[in-house]
Amino acid sequence: MSERLDALWYKNAVIYQVHVRAFYDSNGDGIGDFDGLAQKLDYLRELGIDAIWLMPFFPSPLRDDGYDIADYTSVHSNYGTLEDFQKFLAAAHERKIRVIVEMVLNHTSDQHPWFQESRSSQDNPRRNWYVWSDTDTRYRGVRIIFLDTEMSNWAWDPISKAYFWHRFFSHQPDLNYDNPAVREQMWNVMKFWLDLGVDAFRLDAVPYLVEREGTSCENLPETHAIIKELRQRLDHEFPGRMLLAEANQWPADLRPYFGDGDEFHMAFHFPLMPRMFMALKLEDRKPITEILQQTPEIPPSCQWALFLRNHDELTLEMVTDLERDYMYDAYARNKTMRLNLGIRRRLAPLLDNDRRRIELMNGMLMSLPGTPIIYYGDEIGMGDNVNLGDRNGVRTPMQWNGGWNGGFSAADPEALYSPLLLNPVYGFQAINVLSQKRTEHSLLSWMQRIIRVRKSAPVFGSGSIEFLYPANHRVLAYARQLGDETILVVNNLSSSAQAVELDLRRYKGKVLIEMFGRNLFPRIGELPYLLTMGPYQFFWFRLRRI
Amino acid sequence: MAEESVLTDDFIRQLINVGEVDVLVGLPTDNNAETIGPIIRTIQAGILKTFPRERAVIINADGGSRDGTPELVMGASIDDVRHAYSGQALRTLHSVSTQYAASPSSDTALRTILAAAELLRAKACAVISPESTNIESEWIARLLRPIYYDNFDLVTPIYRRHKFEGLLMRNLVYPMTRALYGKRIREPYASEFAFSGRLGSDFLARDIWGQEGGRVGREMELAISAITGAYRVSQSFLGTKDRVERRPADLVPVMRQTVAVLFSSLDTTFTVWSNNHGSQPVPTVGPEYDVTLEPVRINRKRLKQMFSNGIAELEPVFKSILSASTLSALQQIASLNDEDFRYPAELWAKTVYEFAASYRKSVISRDHIIQALAPLYRGRMFTFLVENRSGSAEDVENNIENLCCEFERLKPYLLELCNGGK
Amino acid sequence: MREIIWQELTQAMQEAVRGFAHLLPRLIVMLIIAFAGWVIAYLLKWILRSILRLAKFDKLSENAGASQLLNRAALPPSTELLSRFVFWVAWLGFILIGVSLLGIGGLQQHIARFFLFLPRLFVAMFTIFFGLLAASFFSRAALLAAVNANLPSPKLLSISIRAMIIIFVVSMVFEELGLAEQTVLLAFGIAFGAVMLGLAIAFGMGGRDLARQFLEKRFVREKKNEKEDEPSPL
Repeated sequence: MSERLDALWYKNAVIYQVHVRAFYDSNGDGIGDFDGLAQKLDYLRELGIDAIWLMPFFPSPLRDDGYDIADYTSVHSNYGTLEDFQKFLAAAHERKIRVIVEMVLNHTSDQHPWFQESRSSQDNPRRNWYVWSDTDTRYRGVRIIFLDTEMSNWAWDPISKAYFWHRFFSHQPDLNYDNPAVREQMWNVMKFWLDLGVDAFRLDAVPYLVEREGTSCENLPETHAIIKELRQRLDHEFPGRMLLAEANQWPADLRPYFGDGDEFHMAFHFPLMPRMFMALKLEDRKPITEILQQTPEIPPSCQWALFLRNHDELTLEMVTDLERDYMYDAYARNKTMRLNLGIRRRLAPLLDNDRRRIELMNGMLMSLPGTPIIYYGDEIGMGDNVNLGDRNGVRTPMQWNGGWNGGFSAADPEALYSPLLLNPVYGFQAINVLSQKRTEHSLLSWMQRIIRVRKSAPVFGSGSIEFLYPANHRVLAYARQLGDETILVVNNLSSSAQAVELDLRRYKGKVLIEMFGRNLFPRIGELPYLLTMGPYQFFWFRLRRI
Repeated sequence: MAEESVLTDDFIRQLINVGEVDVLVGLPTDNNAETIGPIIRTIQAGILKTFPRERAVIINADGGSRDGTPELVMGASIDDVRHAYSGQALRTLHSVSTQYAASPSSDTALRTILAAAELLRAKACAVISPESTNIESEWIARLLRPIYYDNFDLVTPIYRRHKFEGLLMRNLVYPMTRALYGKRIREPYASEFAFSGRLGSDFLARDIWGQEGGRVGREMELAISAITGAYRVSQSFLGTKDRVERRPADLVPVMRQTVAVLFSSLDTTFTVWSNNHGSQPVPTVGPEYDVTLEPVRINRKRLKQMFSNGIAELEPVFKSILSASTLSALQQIASLNDEDFRYPAELWAKTVYEFAASYRKSVISRDHIIQALAPLYRGRMFTFLVENRSGSAEDVENNIENLCCEFERLKPYLLELCNGGK
Repeated sequence: MREIIWQELTQAMQEAVRGFAHLLPRLIVMLIIAFAGWVIAYLLKWILRSILRLAKFDKLSENAGASQLLNRAALPPSTELLSRFVFWVAWLGFILIGVSLLGIGGLQQHIARFFLFLPRLFVAMFTIFFGLLAASFFSRAALLAAVNANLPSPKLLSISIRAMIIIFVVSMVFEELGLAEQTVLLAFGIAFGAVMLGLAIAFGMGGRDLARQFLEKRFVREKKNEKEDEPSPL
């Protein structure tokens, strides 16, 4: 019994996404490391999270923030050694915190020894580990992903005098998954980490593993076959470990990645996130209900991963032009905030540092069907620095206290891997863990509470969802159900007070118990249930028959 | 306050759900199921195209339809389950319907729409007729853009019509409104128009509602309020106006809605019109006039006959209303045969003014005065038809312009009549 | 004998004087009442005239057509007439009160009857007045409606309506005043009935087709092609 429950641990977990280098520096070199992260595990345990998702920490030339990997079975010297990692892993497991690691399957850095060998000559045994071609006309018409920087999916290699295929940056050649040796090696890489005790992988860029002529080279059946194979081996040798897919697709196109419960356990629900922000600005629930109506059913053992923000820009790829223009005007008037097709800002600045809106968004994150992922720093309401290039504005050092370097590192401030935030609103003196721990009403304390409430009811992670459609379109209301347990969630998306009548006839006779204060609300009768809500307020009600 | 009682509890509940809006489109209906379908879709498309980000609502004030008109209107809602017919919608669009009375009355319909606009704090409102089957989605833009973006308070339409359509408007209402109030508004009384929330609230607050039950012509009053108050008025060219096939407009009820209101306004706006001289054009989007010239069949003889008949039979009534000289002039032209008959512009202007002055003094029952004007108007129609029989659009326009000048020129005469009586 | 006659004479004189003395105060009171009555009646007339002027009674009576009637009878305008009438009635009333004080028997009853008659007189006057008003209004309404609907002989229709209403009103007045009630009632009944019957026969038989068309126009919705010839005014 506990084995099986354990196998579905990811359904009721709360995940914390963190950069090792941004969290805590233990050796004073200005860069966060695994030792430091291990020291802060108690903080995370107290927050209530169940799993940490680590951004890439393998050795890498760092031309793509660690997603260009030069060695799959080691740790970048900036962050420590493999032993440091193992110590950290053990400490995490001790506190019942699982660890999710990034695994980039699709491509490596061009500095990786495999590629160095592959390109050296045509006869090299690792030649076929990558996708080589004499011309750049194969797979014509396949879309380019990094439109801002790349002109083509083929790059000319002067050493090997041939073209190699890369869906991403030209310094990230794609591995050739038609080669069984590659598949075996990648499994071995994964096995290496699994043997160490890692609990799950976030597999980056999965749709692009296999190429075939005359297709879009995305989401091909061969790719799914590879994933199925990986999953099978995983279940066989490491039951209870989890695979999380990163595939920025429409929900309907994502469905195949769950297979019949024999591919990925989890996948990110990308299109939902911008729509939550849109709904808040429009003060209209329509964007959210529409996308969730279009979201297909997934196998019972599978789970969506939900998030408000992450290390990347708030992507506006999966919205229409009309919606994108609206989001730009609403959230990123200043053009420096826009990057690629998105907005590079953190949660608090996006919501104008409005505590009520931050709470509402987190409330929805915790109550919509899926596993919530919290981006480090958002639990205290950290700000961003749009003047740093690329997406580094949302990857500034964690702010622990109001003292030296915000408590992040003992190094000189100039030596830090990134400048700290200094302004009076979001700077480390205003926003930090220590001061928020001291007050009961800080955002951090509130986050701890809501995580606790969420975890008190498995309905949130494992239950079904049914939307109520009250006539007042500013209110988003839905019922989560698991077995006998029903929880009613009502969210006021508007900045002004609202009255809403809910049709709760099917729950007639039950009494509402508000989950935070545990106070009684009137019994449900025949008439529509009237609720009056303050600006951005939300309710979680447990329905009890008494 | 008085206006809330116009709205039923159920409607108020619906308005709660709609919440504050930026744009409101009002649709008064009464058994319009035949025509309403495409119209409501066009309105929806117009809203989505012109105001994609704004909060909008369609309010249907229904006078007790039995043919399913309200359901058709509500079908234009866009929400979690219903989607736009055309194009994409960023937001929910509510389309709500309320039955305001057991029997239709255009005044209560307008009042319902005004009350809803005020409660929802709409910035720009438009009223669309359910019989305008020629409506295009552009109409929404042309009516509401000046209000929403350019801060106008009233937008009246200009239609493309046949040169023989709308003669009462062009021979009486337009020239007189123009002469009295100095603004060249072609259609002060129209089935489509737009107004700002500010004008709507001010008009609703006036103490004219619920007084004389069954009074008609509030749309005209609204236009006059806008023209005479501190409001910005403009016109927009819309497109072709439908020939209303269903119910031919009876002349006298139409005159009650327009001419009577215009005459009544002489009292309430005395200081404004007595001090105004000449007229100015009003900001207009699109052409000022557009006239089609296809031949139509009109029974002119009947018009002349009714005119002569009226002159003969109603002499005692006219004696109380008209001056002796005008009456004898009319009797003289009544005796002419069809070829020689002409009701010249100057005489017509004098006639209208004398009627207006008598109306103001209530020499006899006011409604009777209006009814008595009808046969005279028919005579004027006859002359207009004859004069413009083979005229081009410019010719017609020039004739109307001459008529307007005549009205403006004789305005002191009206002032004299009104002051003399007082 | 002389003394007896003198005694009788003086006695008779005394009686006469006594009677006179008895009567004189009353006469004086009567004269005082009459005078006071004149003042009050004048006041009433003045007040009433002001009220009527304010209420534009003259205009109303012009509408009623009463002014024309008065004019033709070389009588003063309605306001003036009414005020003067009220004046005389009021003064007469006061005089009669005075007279009743004189205690002359038999006169009381007649005086009482006069006062009883007054209300009915006023009612009758109201009835005539408003009846004339209504007749004028409705006959004009009929005239206008007929002209605008292009019906034949509108004047005839108008006059007949006016006549009918006036006849009706006059009969009501006679009944109210109690003059020849029965005769008037009967005469009116017969005349009215005859007219109605005649109209019914004429309309029913002679105007069969017209009646059908009329009913069809009112109760059946259809396209009316004849009316289409007139272009829409708006």
